[in-house]
Amino acid sequence: MAEANSKPGESLDKALPSGVEYDEAIMAQQDRIQQEIAETSQLIGDHEDLLLLSKEYSEEDNVYQGKIKDLRSKYKCFRRTRGDGNCFYRAFGFSYLERLLDDRKDLERFKEVAAKSKDMLVSLGFPAFTVEDFHDTFMEVVEKVEQQIPVEDLLATFRDQGLSDYLVVYLRLLTSGYLQQNEDFFVNFIESYASVKEFCGHEVEPMARESDHIHIIALTSSLDVGVRVEYMDRAGSEEVNHHDFPEGTEPKVFLLYRPGHYDILYK
Amino acid sequence: MSTPARRRLMRDFKRLQEDPPCGVSAAPTDNNIMLWNAVIFGPEDTPFEDGTFKLTLEFTEEYPNKPPTVRFVSKMFHPNIYADGKICLDILQNRWSPTYDVSAILTSIQSLLDEPNPNSPANSVAAQLYQENKREYEKKVQAIVEQSWAEVPEEDHVL
Repeated sequence: MAEANSKPGESLDKALPSGVEYDEAIMAQQDRIQQEIAETSQLIGDHEDLLLLSKEYSEEDNVYQGKIKDLRSKYKCFRRTRGDGNCFYRAFGFSYLERLLDDRKDLERFKEVAAKSKDMLVSLGFPAFTVEDFHDTFMEVVEKVEQQIPVEDLLATFRDQGLSDYLVVYLRLLTSGYLQQNEDFFVNFIESYASVKEFCGHEVEPMARESDHIHIIALTSSLDVGVRVEYMDRAGSEEVNHHDFPEGTEPKVFLLYRPGHYDILYK
Repeated sequence: MSTPARRRLMRDFKRLQEDPPCGVSAAPTDNNIMLWNAVIFGPEDTPFEDGTFKLTLEFTEEYPNKPPTVRFVSKMFHPNIYADGKICLDILQNRWSPTYDVSAILTSIQSLLDEPNPNSPANSVAAQLYQENKREYEKKVQAIVEQSWAEVPEEDHVL
C-alpha cells in the first residue's frame, strides 16, 4: 500500500505499504467476525451474577473455578462488554462515568481535566477540526452525568453504537496524547515501531485495536483515574491476581481481565 | 435522520466550503449525503499536472469510525491504483483514524499521486515503468491526464 503524506492533519505522517487485496480480505473477515459478535452481545451488558461465569468453564477446571470462587468473595456482580477490540476503553468509560453519577467532587475534577484535554491534543498536532467533534460529544455526555441522569440513560448512551464509538475514539485520542507527551519514557516499551507516534498511529488511534498494559497506563494516568484489573488466566494459584493502574492509586474502576477481553466488575 | 455519521459529514462539507484545501474539491451528491463526488487536480510540477481526476467517496453509518470507500472514476495510471479505480493507501484501510476527514483523505490521495510506492503495486506495469523507465511512465500518465479533460461530466455536482 502507498504512503499517505501529511498536509492538513499532522498525524497523517507516515503511512506504510502493504498489499491492498490481502488487507481487504483480512478486513472483510474481521467485519464478518465483528458482525457475529455484535449479534450476540451488547456493547455494555446488564448486571450479571458472577456465578454465571463458572458455567463458561469445565467443572473440572480447578484453576478457573477456583478463581471464580475467589472473585465472588470480592465482587458482587459484573457487566459484560462486547469483544470488539474496544472493550477496555468502553468498559473504562462506562464504569467510570457510572461511578461519577454518585461522586460530585470527583466529577468536578474530571470535568476540568476533560475540558482541558482538547487543547493538549491539538498542541500535539491532532487536527483541531475533527478532535473538536469527538471532544464536544464527550463533554456532552460528561454534562449529562453532571445532571445526574439515571444509570439507564448512561447505559443507553453507551449502547448506541455511533455515540458509544465517539466516546471510545476520544479515549483513544487521550491515550495516544499521553503516550506522545511522555514519549521519552514510553519509547522504551515499544517494540516493532520506530517511534511512539508511529505506535499510536497503528495500535492506539484506529478503532478495534486491542489494549495492552501500556494503553491502560497511559489512559489512567492521563485522566488520573485508578483502575484495578483482576486477572483471570491460567497463571498461578486459584486466586485472581490484581494490578492497579497507575500503580499505587486508589482504584475507582474495577475490571475483569480474561485473555484478550475486559468486563466490568462491581463491589 | 441525523446520525453521528451524517452530522459529521455535514461538518466535513461545511469545512470544505469554509476552508477549501488546495487542489481538491468535493461535495455530497444531490440527494445522498452518504455518497460524494470529488475532484483532485494533478499537483503542479508532477506528471499529473493539469489532470482533473474524478472520484467517488462512499460512506457508511460507521463513518468516521470506519473509512469510506474511495475510488477513482477517471482512468488512472499509477503504481498504487487498481484498474477499477480502487486505491491502495493504508490510511484508507488498516491505518484509518477517525480523526481524518474528507479534506484529509483527498489531500493524502493527492500527495500519493506524485509519491507512489512501487514496492506494493496495485498496477504492476505502472510500478515497473516508474522504477525502470520514467520517460515511458510519464508518457502514460500524460495520456490519462489528457483523457481526464475529455471525460464529459454527467452531472457536475462538484465544480
